[in-house]
Amino acid sequence: MFRYLMLAGLALFLPGLYALGYSVYQGPSAWMVDSQTFWGTPISLFVFWIGLAHAGTLLSAIFLALGIKLDRRTALIAELSTLVCLVFAAIFPLMHLGVVKNFYMVVPLLDARGGMANVCSPLVWDFCCIAVYALLSLFFFAIHLKSREIPLLEKYRKPMAWLLFPLVLWVHTIVSLDFATTFVPQWRGAFFPLYFIAGAILSGLALVNLLLCTEGYRVRLLERLMLVGSWFMIGFWLWEFLTKGTFCTSAFIFAGVLPQLRIVSFVREHRTGRIFLSLSVLLGLFLERYFLVSPTQGSSSAAPFGWVDMGLVALSVGGFMLLFFGARRKLSLSMESEGTYFGEVDGSDMAMVEEAAREAEALSREKKRGIDLSYIQPWSSDEYKVLHLPLLVGFAAALVFSLWVSAQLPFAASPYENIEVAFANIVPLFYPIAALIAAGELLLAILHHLRQSPDSAHVTFARRISTIFAAILVVFAAVAGTFYAGGASRASAESVEASPLNVENPIEKYIREMSNESAESLPATMDSAEIKLLWNARCAKCHGVDGRFNEKFVREYYPVPQKLDAARIDSLGLDSLEKVVLDGRVNMSAFRGRLTEAEIRGLVAYMRHMAGDLSSSSAGDSAAVDSSAVDSAAAGEAP
Amino acid sequence: MTPLVNALACLVALGVASLLWKPKSSFYRNAALLAGFLLFACLYTYLGSETFDLKYLEPQLEHYPLRMLMLCLCLSTTSLTLYRRRYLVLAQGLWCWVELFGGIALYYRGIDVAWVRIAALAGITLGSTFLSRISKEMEFCLMVFWIAIWVFF
Repeated sequence: MFRYLMLAGLALFLPGLYALGYSVYQGPSAWMVDSQTFWGTPISLFVFWIGLAHAGTLLSAIFLALGIKLDRRTALIAELSTLVCLVFAAIFPLMHLGVVKNFYMVVPLLDARGGMANVCSPLVWDFCCIAVYALLSLFFFAIHLKSREIPLLEKYRKPMAWLLFPLVLWVHTIVSLDFATTFVPQWRGAFFPLYFIAGAILSGLALVNLLLCTEGYRVRLLERLMLVGSWFMIGFWLWEFLTKGTFCTSAFIFAGVLPQLRIVSFVREHRTGRIFLSLSVLLGLFLERYFLVSPTQGSSSAAPFGWVDMGLVALSVGGFMLLFFGARRKLSLSMESEGTYFGEVDGSDMAMVEEAAREAEALSREKKRGIDLSYIQPWSSDEYKVLHLPLLVGFAAALVFSLWVSAQLPFAASPYENIEVAFANIVPLFYPIAALIAAGELLLAILHHLRQSPDSAHVTFARRISTIFAAILVVFAAVAGTFYAGGASRASAESVEASPLNVENPIEKYIREMSNESAESLPATMDSAEIKLLWNARCAKCHGVDGRFNEKFVREYYPVPQKLDAARIDSLGLDSLEKVVLDGRVNMSAFRGRLTEAEIRGLVAYMRHMAGDLSSSSAGDSAAVDSSAVDSAAAGEAP
Repeated sequence: MTPLVNALACLVALGVASLLWKPKSSFYRNAALLAGFLLFACLYTYLGSETFDLKYLEPQLEHYPLRMLMLCLCLSTTSLTLYRRRYLVLAQGLWCWVELFGGIALYYRGIDVAWVRIAALAGITLGSTFLSRISKEMEFCLMVFWIAIWVFF
């Protein structure tokens, strides 16, 4: 069964890989980009997959922390699905950045030039939260997987679950702030954090139910939760409709109406019916994300959902099937519970059987110690005893980091020197940092305990983990050091040959060169409307439709692109700008091979034309001469 | 929204909270009550906002239905029989969550974060973790405190 699912995944993954390569090469113009929000398919897929990634931690960690029974096999399947979903969720923001190689700039650390990531940006928050969530989920999964061989690890599962409990909610809250902190009217919403969490939980539950169908058994509790989750989503959609007047009918039908069919016993008691319900919820929530990210879809101004977009969807779905079922086959022996389950078995009952022996053992132990199990003194639980010191150190580290960032950012040699950093800007980074430090301390504690163990196998295991951990740290340090002293340290002056000032007016020089160009070097069909379209497709996402940098970047993105005003363009020289477009710069993609020379010249002229317009609107007559000069240049170039 | 409508919301939340977690009540009943209350809170906020125009809804009211839901959850924890302290702390933490992240979303649109409300909630959440066996008097004090946060902050 798993092999066939892997083959199906491979059949989807390979064409998807081509779409991915094409997208990375072409940049954001390759996929569907919404004309209003400048976001497109990658972000829809990112939000969708990061939502699915909630399943593992939700079902395993939260259920464990709250004492809700879930059997080992179901919990491990859920945890594994989290890790695989995170792999595919991570691909899409990298694509969306446009400059994939500069992804490290979203890490909130100083680079060699003293530049600091824009910690006011939800993109930086995203990176921190998702990276920490991925690391801790991996840690949690590894502890669970090995806990049968090494029972000592079981002691650390519940403290880890409590550490992950807020983190899993935190991650999707931060993803919701990617939207809620913007100026896009459809995305305004202080209710977004809980709305996104509810959507993520519902989609995660649907995924786990679907995966359990492939395993051949069911957990009724999860099915009930999926049904109830759809009720809450209907509430959120109603509120969105009342506040904004927008409503995604397809999402409502697939994820709101059709899941109610579970009430019909014929549907819920057949595996096909359950698969249909889970797929319906997943499809509905994908359509909802798509609708949310691209509110202009369906209007005449919207870009079509093309083959690249379909390829990206196929990549993620196929890749998930390939990786998940591959890992599932590999881990078959470790993932089995006390028994092997097939058919219509209720997982809640299975979990109770598994827990019964453990609880009986705990009861007899506590009775011997004379402890009243019906009441727990405040601050006295076992989890708290394990967690209190790591959490204290974690919060202290997060506090120090916050103070350092707030002191650093306004003075860093970065475009943010005028950006005010408030407490509200740093709060989203607080818990992920604290959780990371606390998890690191828990890992050290586990290693210490294993080394103290009389069992030589445990000591060997601890040594192996220590070696892997040390190797990861060395690699991380090497990579971080390379990035620190690498591309970002190159000053922009070295990559841009600025024209000497006061020797010849660069605009005049450009016009002179343009007049000397042979007419055949420019395509006869290229007119100002075409250049404008080209600008909107290739450049406007960062630099803005009107040439002022896209306001969204100030709050949402890192790095902030240059504001293309007349003074800056004149200081660089137009020929240098052409070179920048061709070869890229520190934060800008190279367009060599993707744009013709004539297109680049057209874009540069259009850029200068807009800068002239901006100057004349802001500075009055001072720039009028330049503006008219470049107007004529643009007109000459684009007959 | 007028103070009267705001106070009435608190009373409605109190009424629904009294229906939750009844002994032997089913999972579906409790979930349907909560989801139904969310739907009601959405309509209540919309009709009680005095604007009746989608474009002019006060930004501070965007998460008002969720705040009503969280208040209801907090109030309902007083009727629990098992794990009261745990769920009390979790419900307050969730309310604090809604206020904090809703506030951050609004902060990026130029509206101040309601730090006093958040601090009051965080304070009572932290304080609740020290509670020993929760008496009837303590339940009453907690309810008064939550209602005070709702009405005054």
